Amino acid sequence: MRNKIFTLSCLLVFAFGSVLAQETETEKAIDKPVRSPFESGYLIDNQTTVIQPVNTLEFAIQHKFGSFENGSSDLFGLYAAGANIRLGLNYVVANNVQVGIGVTKERMTTDFNAKWTILEQTRNNTVPLALALYGNIAIDGRDKDQLNPFDESQTEYEFSNRLSSFAQVIVGRKISDVVSLQAGVSFSHYNLIDYGNYHDKVGVHLNGRFKVTPQGSIIFNFDAPLDLDYLDSAKNYNNPEPNFSLGYEISTSTHAFQIYAGNSNGLIQQDIMVNNTTNVLNDGFINIKKYMIGFTITRLWNF
Amino acid sequence: MKTYKKLFLGLSFVFAGILFMAFTLPQDKKMGGPWEIPAKYKTMKNTFKDDASLLKVGKMLFSKHCKSCHGGKGEANGPKAKSMKTGIRSFKDAEFQAQSDGVLYYQSFIGRDEMPNYEKKIADEEDRWAVINYIRTLK
Repeated sequence: MRNKIFTLSCLLVFAFGSVLAQETETEKAIDKPVRSPFESGYLIDNQTTVIQPVNTLEFAIQHKFGSFENGSSDLFGLYAAGANIRLGLNYVVANNVQVGIGVTKERMTTDFNAKWTILEQTRNNTVPLALALYGNIAIDGRDKDQLNPFDESQTEYEFSNRLSSFAQVIVGRKISDVVSLQAGVSFSHYNLIDYGNYHDKVGVHLNGRFKVTPQGSIIFNFDAPLDLDYLDSAKNYNNPEPNFSLGYEISTSTHAFQIYAGNSNGLIQQDIMVNNTTNVLNDGFINIKKYMIGFTITRLWNF
Repeated sequence: MKTYKKLFLGLSFVFAGILFMAFTLPQDKKMGGPWEIPAKYKTMKNTFKDDASLLKVGKMLFSKHCKSCHGGKGEANGPKAKSMKTGIRSFKDAEFQAQSDGVLYYQSFIGRDEMPNYEKKIADEEDRWAVINYIRTLK
């Protein structure tokens, strides 16, 4: 009897499985995903819902120079000390699933990340929005004695002190051939923080592009860390400042070049969400002196 | 003294030769030989031939993937064209345009030598024909 039930249920699963598979196939034939809502998996210092075709290797070079504050004396930050650099490699292991690794100069960080685009927006609005999940775990690679020297409660070194993480849900829509927008919610966490900083931070994100030529777009990104008291008992701490960047993107067959000016020098997102103390605005005007030039370049190889 | 004169004369010839070649080489780029097109592609039908809405898509894809070598109007004058070993044919050529859609498809997406394969970069069949349709407007 048991055997019969088992065989029957197996058959049912297979039968339904194949019916479902056919349905998705016909659906795909009718309503395909929209063409390139963004040109790259990166948008300034954030992620887009775009994942390249399977077996694509993406190499990312991200750089932020010093701030404009010293003016022409250090060529508006280009000669300044304290530039931040990240080199990253991402590989698309399955349809809309990508894994990556990156190294960043700031705090000698190594990050392991993954992105999964669960839904792609389709041309006839069967699926009106794209939905992606992004997450990373980063390791602070500095010498033991440089890790958080100000925290007196921390007496013993543990490896876990080096870890931080970031998780994000991104929703995006290509509104027209010209305009694409994305919104997101994120959670950042640092196991060990500098005195006066938050362990956890919830943030919201808004970014997008405005295409001005077939290959060129104006791009922007805004990340806002939220001041939610109930998440952290440290009520008297100053909330980290939002991160705003505005730039221009040029894309070719295998490259995307993005050059921008922004007010945070972090290159991994938890760093941007937790450690940014530079104001976006100063007396109602853009706090231009504290902004810095940055660029992101991505190169693709198909295998 | 005579040896010096000879040497000088010889060197001048070499120098003149280099100078001459410097000006002639770029024009002397070899065009690729005739294409060997598999029968499957020769008879391939463009199923999106009359879809005018695809021209916009074709133009966009052409700008992104083809323009850097083939030039904005397909006149083989893109910034990368000069560094190619093989000469690039203008899309305005009557001989080029006389080829069938299937042949253009093979040349564009399967490629050979310096013309790379674009099957992975332009994966969707509809998008590929959109590019071919756009190339047809460059007469």
